[in-house]
Amino acid sequence: MQIAPILIVCAVVFALPLVLNNDFLLNKVARYLVLGILTISLALSWGFGGILNLGQAMSFGIGSYAMAMALKLKTIPVHTGSGGLPDFMVWNNVARLPWFWEPFKSISFAIAAGIIVPALVAAGLGWFIFRSRVTGVYVSIITLATMVVLNLVIIDQQSYTGGFNGITDLAQLELFGIAFDAYGRATFYLVATCVMLSLLVAFAFTCSRAGLIVQAIRDHEGRVRYFGYDVATYQIFVFALSAAIAGLAGMLYTIVMEFASPTFLGVQLSLSVVVWCAVGGRQSLVGSFLGAVLVAGMQGALSESAAFLETWTLVMGVLFVLVVLFLPKGLAGLAQVAWHWIVHRRQVTQGIAHGVGRTREGSA
Amino acid sequence: MDQFFEQIITGLSIGSILLLVALGLSIIYGSMGIINLAHGEFVMLGAYTAWLLQSHFGLGLLASLIPIFVAVALIGWVIERFVLSLLNNRPLDTILATWGVGIVLQQGVRLTVGSELRYVQLPPSLSDSMVIVGLSVSSYRVFLFLVTIVLFAVTWLLMNRTTIGMKLRAIMQDRSVAASFGINAKRVYGLTFAYGAGLAGLAGALVSPLKSVSPDMGTGYVVDAFMVVVLGGVQSLAGTVASAFILGQLSGAIAFLQNDTVAKALVLLAIVVLIRFRPEGLFTTRVRA
Amino acid sequence: MTTHLDLRDISVSFNGFKALNGFNMSVRKGELRCLIGPNGAGKTTALDIICGKVKPTAGTVTFDGAALHELEEHEIARAGVGRKFQVPSVFRDLTVAENLEVARAGRPGVWANLRWDLGQARRPNVERLAELVGLAEQLDRPAAYLSHGQTQWLEIGMLVAQDADLILMDEPTAGMTAQETRKTAELFGRLKGKHTLVVVEHDMGFVKAIGDIISVMHMGQLLAEGTAAQVEAHPEVRRAYLGSGGITNA
Repeated sequence: MQIAPILIVCAVVFALPLVLNNDFLLNKVARYLVLGILTISLALSWGFGGILNLGQAMSFGIGSYAMAMALKLKTIPVHTGSGGLPDFMVWNNVARLPWFWEPFKSISFAIAAGIIVPALVAAGLGWFIFRSRVTGVYVSIITLATMVVLNLVIIDQQSYTGGFNGITDLAQLELFGIAFDAYGRATFYLVATCVMLSLLVAFAFTCSRAGLIVQAIRDHEGRVRYFGYDVATYQIFVFALSAAIAGLAGMLYTIVMEFASPTFLGVQLSLSVVVWCAVGGRQSLVGSFLGAVLVAGMQGALSESAAFLETWTLVMGVLFVLVVLFLPKGLAGLAQVAWHWIVHRRQVTQGIAHGVGRTREGSA
Repeated sequence: MDQFFEQIITGLSIGSILLLVALGLSIIYGSMGIINLAHGEFVMLGAYTAWLLQSHFGLGLLASLIPIFVAVALIGWVIERFVLSLLNNRPLDTILATWGVGIVLQQGVRLTVGSELRYVQLPPSLSDSMVIVGLSVSSYRVFLFLVTIVLFAVTWLLMNRTTIGMKLRAIMQDRSVAASFGINAKRVYGLTFAYGAGLAGLAGALVSPLKSVSPDMGTGYVVDAFMVVVLGGVQSLAGTVASAFILGQLSGAIAFLQNDTVAKALVLLAIVVLIRFRPEGLFTTRVRA
Repeated sequence: MTTHLDLRDISVSFNGFKALNGFNMSVRKGELRCLIGPNGAGKTTALDIICGKVKPTAGTVTFDGAALHELEEHEIARAGVGRKFQVPSVFRDLTVAENLEVARAGRPGVWANLRWDLGQARRPNVERLAELVGLAEQLDRPAAYLSHGQTQWLEIGMLVAQDADLILMDEPTAGMTAQETRKTAELFGRLKGKHTLVVVEHDMGFVKAIGDIISVMHMGQLLAEGTAAQVEAHPEVRRAYLGSGGITNA
């Protein structure tokens, strides 16, 4: 059981505000942590389930819009026109609040929807894909195409979704009397708590028998069937669980960024998540999380200068190809090898020549 | 009636460009099982090579075609040799790798040539138009259509009437058996990928006078071309032709009737449904799994 | 005794090639049935039909009254059918212990398997199984690192773990040493009675060592059935094997 790295990472995350005394910086870090949660969700479906979802940002985007819709409706009457309509609807001559906006007047509904809707959408899509035994590359294409369709629809339906601009000018989230200012500590701790929750839930799943069976399906889908497991059900389950976590990340992203945008369910972000996950280690929850935080963080640091950013993209491309070629387990795999080597050497020098490196590959 | 013919001719013109781009993708996918996400970047490289040869060396488009084919094919060969050949039996990783390669190529061009739009001149001999069934059609589009047919014929002959094509088909059937008969799979794969890349380069060069040239111009093409391959069936060149022209006509019609967003969304939904219900494509017969 | 497994008039064709052509076979409960025949006779296809990997174009498969040909693979497995493949099929990235754990599919649903209790509780079971197939020392090694023979053993162990009523074995001793083959024969001896086994084999010595009744297949049909001596004396069998040096060298 490799829960130690998870606990260490969580402890570090919670301790960050003690070191970072700058609200602006804290907000930036919170952003990267959220992207880390999104990447954990991909590690679950790709690294453990073997399902390369190239539309992972779809669930993220749905979560983000769910939160943004609720927070927009909370701005009444500042950023709304007559009858409590969001400003962009007024500009687009919408007379009444559309029916699917109504329930978002309740913040609890929005939070539930931000997790459950992505999970249900994923379950439906998963049913469509896995029941007919579509596998491998084709799954990736279907997920990518579906996300782009949703993205196009959101941009196209400007009067209901804010279109290309997304949903902006939001209220602050308030829960249990705490206001979550994007630049405040409360928000940072909210994000940190969700990082911990996501890591622990994902870890618990990978340690369960169901998680083991999902990994067996990744290795040899056909074989699992002949033991009596309904493969599609397991795939749908891990696909939906992954989407739920991505939806949670999306909601947090809206809180941290203070808007929702169609780019949140864009191809660019979706593919970036794949890069982070691959670099960090797709078969490692902590690895994929750190991969996202480090790579996205570095990109953020360099984005001050446009020329740097272009070069950075080139460097990332090269790095990504190298990781795919030579480090299929990413930096986490490298760390694991290094750790074994250290432990092994110490044991040899101490003259204890047995029981080397009993680990389960692929956990934590 | 005129409008109908005009629509048909537009469709044929779109279809020939689609086929040009899809042909290379289809060869690579059908024979090596690699979904080459860098294919759009090969198209882009072809267009840039055309621009470079024209603006810096004064070479006309027609005279540049062969050098462009060779140059892009060489890049393709290098990529196959040093990246893809290391990824045997890891299909998911090959899409990731080709995608990464695509980013590198695109960024490389952006950093060296810049991201501003570039333009390629039409060959003077083809800049007028001709009259077909009572309609005025640009000569260059007719030329494009003919070149596409010639390239398709050459590809078909290469695959079906030459030793290298025969070897490739043997490897497609069973790589290890082919290897035991002395076929050098590595070399054949390298040449196949190079040929597919070269075709993409030609496609890019040929469309460059019609559209502006930019580092990200390939992205749109790869989606459409992939749709052609999926629709046509992976191992059927004839299916690729049929689907390229069907899609050409369809997108012509949809663009005429609907707005662009709806057209794009419909194409993507069609891909999804097609993969789900006929992953082997519309124009191939089912075989033993 | 009543029939346990019954294949009736099974036909399968691949692109016009008839792999099975009106094949019939019935097996009693607890029996160990060997299936032999020249290459291309349809032995593996017969197993594929039983476990649902291939659907028959005509004919029926019944097992304890259930119509297997109407079920999906996982439903057939739940009905009590286990299968070992010709090419050893294990989960290469999982450890030996995990492979055995996956095979113990008592409750195959997702929700039933969400409990977080991997490790302690079931360990003795897994260890006993590993002992049985001689992999006790390898419990924590990924299956990818096992030798060919060990992989064969692991898959056999997984079938024992699955505890299916009917076990289908496709060339279980391929790639094993003489000693390992003898051990396999012993294991099969212990399994029969409690389980029903259908074993496809080429090694006639092994077949004679384990089999009660032998079914001989030829060109997608049942050619003969009986004890080893009866089958060897059968004139049609001799003719089918003519040129391949007789049945013992098949």
